Amino acid sequence: MNRDYDHLLKLLIIGDSGVGKSSLLLRFADNTFTSNYINTIGVDFKIRTLDVDGQKVKLHIWDTAGQERFRTITSTYYRGTHGVIVVYDITNGESFANIKRWLHEIDQNCDVVNRILVGNKCDCKDRQVVLPEDARRFAERMEIKHFETSAKNNTNVDELFMTLTRMVLRNKQEQKEQQAGGKDKINLHSNKPRKNKQCC
Amino acid sequence: MFHVPVMDLEELVKHKLLPGHKLIAAVQAGLVQEFVKRDRALALIEGFEAADVSAHLDIIAANKRSGAVPAVEVERAVLVLCSTAEFLPSSPSQFFIESVLPIDARFKYTIDGLEISHRSYALTDGNQSAILLSLSSSRHQLLFEMTFSQKTNIFVSEVMKAAEGVSKRKAPTPEFTWLKPYLNNSASSGSSKPSAAGDHNQNSQQIFTIEGGSPCLVADLIGMSPEGADGGSQTVNSDGGAGGDNFIETGRDVVANRASPSHKGGLGGSLAAEDEADLLRVKDITLDNFALNQSTFYKPAVMPVLAGARESHVQHMMAQRQGSYTHALPLTVFVGTWNVNGVPPSIGLIEWLAVDPEPPDVYALGFQELDLATEAYIFQASNREPEWRAAVLSSLHPAARYVEVKLVRLVGMLLMVLVQEKHAKHVSRVQACTVPTGIMNMLGNKGGVSVSLELYNTSVCFVNCHLAAHVEEYERRNEDYDCICEKTVFVGPSGLQRYIRDHSHIYFFGDMNYRISASPEVNIRKLASAGQYETLLKLDQLNQQRRIGRVFKGYSEGPINFQPTFKYDKDTDSWDSSEKQRQPAWCDRILWAGEGIEQRIYRVHMALKISDHKPVSASFSSQVKVIDQAKYRRVHEEVMKQLDKMENEFLPSVSLSKSEVVLSPVHFLELQSETITISNTGQFPVQFSFIKKLNDEECCKPWLKIHPKSAFIPPGGDCVVRLDVKVDKSSAWVLASGAEQLYDILVLHLDGGKDYFITITGDYVRSCFGSSINALVHLNKPFCEVPVAQLIDLESSAPQKTLELPYAIPKELWYLVDHLHSHALSTEGLFTRPGLSKELCEIRAALDAGMPSRELGVSVHSIAQALLVFLEALPEPVVPCSLYPAALRAAAEGYLPAKQVVSQMPDYHRNVFTYLMAFLNELLVHRHENKLDASTLGSL
Repeated sequence: MNRDYDHLLKLLIIGDSGVGKSSLLLRFADNTFTSNYINTIGVDFKIRTLDVDGQKVKLHIWDTAGQERFRTITSTYYRGTHGVIVVYDITNGESFANIKRWLHEIDQNCDVVNRILVGNKCDCKDRQVVLPEDARRFAERMEIKHFETSAKNNTNVDELFMTLTRMVLRNKQEQKEQQAGGKDKINLHSNKPRKNKQCC
Repeated sequence: MFHVPVMDLEELVKHKLLPGHKLIAAVQAGLVQEFVKRDRALALIEGFEAADVSAHLDIIAANKRSGAVPAVEVERAVLVLCSTAEFLPSSPSQFFIESVLPIDARFKYTIDGLEISHRSYALTDGNQSAILLSLSSSRHQLLFEMTFSQKTNIFVSEVMKAAEGVSKRKAPTPEFTWLKPYLNNSASSGSSKPSAAGDHNQNSQQIFTIEGGSPCLVADLIGMSPEGADGGSQTVNSDGGAGGDNFIETGRDVVANRASPSHKGGLGGSLAAEDEADLLRVKDITLDNFALNQSTFYKPAVMPVLAGARESHVQHMMAQRQGSYTHALPLTVFVGTWNVNGVPPSIGLIEWLAVDPEPPDVYALGFQELDLATEAYIFQASNREPEWRAAVLSSLHPAARYVEVKLVRLVGMLLMVLVQEKHAKHVSRVQACTVPTGIMNMLGNKGGVSVSLELYNTSVCFVNCHLAAHVEEYERRNEDYDCICEKTVFVGPSGLQRYIRDHSHIYFFGDMNYRISASPEVNIRKLASAGQYETLLKLDQLNQQRRIGRVFKGYSEGPINFQPTFKYDKDTDSWDSSEKQRQPAWCDRILWAGEGIEQRIYRVHMALKISDHKPVSASFSSQVKVIDQAKYRRVHEEVMKQLDKMENEFLPSVSLSKSEVVLSPVHFLELQSETITISNTGQFPVQFSFIKKLNDEECCKPWLKIHPKSAFIPPGGDCVVRLDVKVDKSSAWVLASGAEQLYDILVLHLDGGKDYFITITGDYVRSCFGSSINALVHLNKPFCEVPVAQLIDLESSAPQKTLELPYAIPKELWYLVDHLHSHALSTEGLFTRPGLSKELCEIRAALDAGMPSRELGVSVHSIAQALLVFLEALPEPVVPCSLYPAALRAAAEGYLPAKQVVSQMPDYHRNVFTYLMAFLNELLVHRHENKLDASTLGSL
């Protein structure tokens, strides 16, 4: 009997309210989009199964409420997370300015975690205020991969999740190898992200 | 899963059977469709063929000659029953037959083990071992999950026995007419007897196409080809597009569809024709009951359960969508057969193997009587084999290069399969099998040699046979054929068994030895020489046996336009002139089965004269399936996405009447109630609970009570949750000091799903209750008139300089004590009788407003309780916490240490303490009237 999956990963989506976290999840998990804004009051949860290089990976994706007042509660959901997607809205400078806080939040609540920075709503180029160059520079400094996505137009959504999933899997593999290989060698640079991918 | 005593299920099933039909075994099982599991019952039943007498007589007559007496063959079938109510239903009328799977040659089963570990989805908890039983007939492919039990064991082994029996049986393939009453559908339309000899599954179609195609259940459930679904399928999908949310509804739609069996169901063009066929939906015998039960059909009593067999569903769905990621590649397959009568290959074989202009893609060449030497029977080796192999290799079509895929020999029977070099890498799973049917079914002078392989993505089987000789022995030939079919099995590396019939393309050829059964007055030689084949072919035994359905069911043979291939004098074209004077016959034949095979040529090769047989060949254009890897991945991804989407839709989901509760101003000790309605909008029962936040002891603040904290809501159901807010002495001072707000976020967790946050906000109206002594003594106006900011200042910091002198004790305390002092010194039961909570609230309001409590018409007991509550609600007790241990010690030690402790108290606390003691002392003076004594008061 085949197992239903080879890996079970927990991913978390965080970021300011209204940047499109739920839309990204809805696009990725159900391939749908709605322009009606519904505030997430709580933590939503969906699954998606990916085939990554022949391995079946089941993702449990948690979409958190972005509102400030829920910050302390949502931080409890960071536990056991393998990867975090930090989302800002390219038409909202403040949401980008808050990224630092969100990254700090990750550091506070997670041990080892793969992060990815996502500028959503890249379909609204005319209202873009967060310049891709700035975002890229920032991401490079923080050593995170950066994507610009559109949940509405389904741009880069699968790619971002796939990239994060691969990062997590690679990380897991490295950890396993380290455990198996013992103490002889630890590669400090293996976790460094490769060249950032820039789209849109 | 529900466990029901054995008898109940069996009795229920027996009610459904017609007289004369026997129940062999019954078991409960979960029908797994997608990854939803529904309760079903499986019943293995037994019955007899009523009609079809003539065929039987034929066989009996034949057997009389060969000495065998055929028993009346019983036939078995599997019924799938479902319930209109809960499982098991309480009465047979709620039970009906959903599908019927006759155990015939097309019946297949596979068994697989499964560990159910989907804790969050399955209603059962813990790991439970189960088996997966996949049953398929020509029209059904159903997957059942069963718990492992004795009953299951019996059922499965009975099914296996039945299936085994079918492959052994010698009677014509059963017709299963006795099953018709169970199908009970308008047998008038579309049930014309199939007459085409090439029809692959005659019998099963005869039964199962009767309805003219109600919608394919599986396909509908999958909702996988929305573009191709016709009217029938759309009724199922009408409310939601993609299939997921229709699961529970489907049953009802099926009922609706049954009412109008005229419409044509099926799936769109992207699917292979065989998938287009309907899955059988069977009406209950008692239609009336059915109609009555329609409305309750599949109501939540029968909740589908997610089964843990996702991967097998992916495979199932991929198989169904095969058409969308495969394309057909036409290959030329050259099949040759030649009984060489033991002679060596003294001549070239080009005139047999390379006469066509285009080189074939595949050669499958069968030889019989390759080696008649006695050694060949005893030893494995044969001198002839390498000779003939070399002859073949040197005579292949010169326009292409060939690779030998497999060579297999049993005594004189040799089968060689070769493919063009360019196809070699697309040939896989090559396996060979030999079956002797000679004396005692042991000797290899007769029998079959077979090769099974995967040509691109189509399974192909080549069978070269040599059946029993002599004119009258056709029944022995039939039996040899049966034996080859039964015993030829290819065992794959994973233990998977493949029989000849399990292949998509089958080529069955060889010296079958069927002769021409003619009366002595018919001159076969003359007719054969004159080319009057038609007369002779009617008398051909193979044609006769096939016509009555005895052998080669589902196989095709092309028209024979060539002279008999047997028996010639060696090196001539003249009929046998030996003593035996054997009559000419078409001994050497080539038949095929499978879709996408077209015979182009069927011929004899008269030029090769070295044997008493002439070689025969057939050329086919065969469409093999080729998987387009990119398309396959895309389809696979789509399938996964669809399943994911469905799985997401199955996640528990509720809607809340509100996610924010704003309270009206909350007063000390005043109860406020709010309700939130939780509605289950998902398709499954939901278990919700309010859960603790990180670092919190409780799921909510102490001033809040939730009823209920967790509950179970059926789909479509509601649950009203009451929130009671009451600030009492334990929480008042925290709120009064401003250290906390009247604000809380509740986390409503759905078992196996998401969380909802419910925010509760309100303003707490500060009161003298819960304020500190230090703060109160500094207030010279009614409490409610003091600005909140000043209150917070007073609570948090040291008493600041105010213009007015502070009171010695809080004026509110004085009001209460004074009231008691003047009204209640002699009241019986003071402090021991409880006050009224309504009056407590009035007292609180009056005190906060600065009104003397004596002006209220409240009972003294309420006043007394208010005094106690006032003292208890103090953030810092009268005897401060720091001095408390010392005070306890002092109480035991005597007056002097006690006095010392009192002197250490902060000023206002000491004032209050002294004041209270004086009051208590006064009360004790009146102890006769108020029945109080020192110990009671002390306990206060």
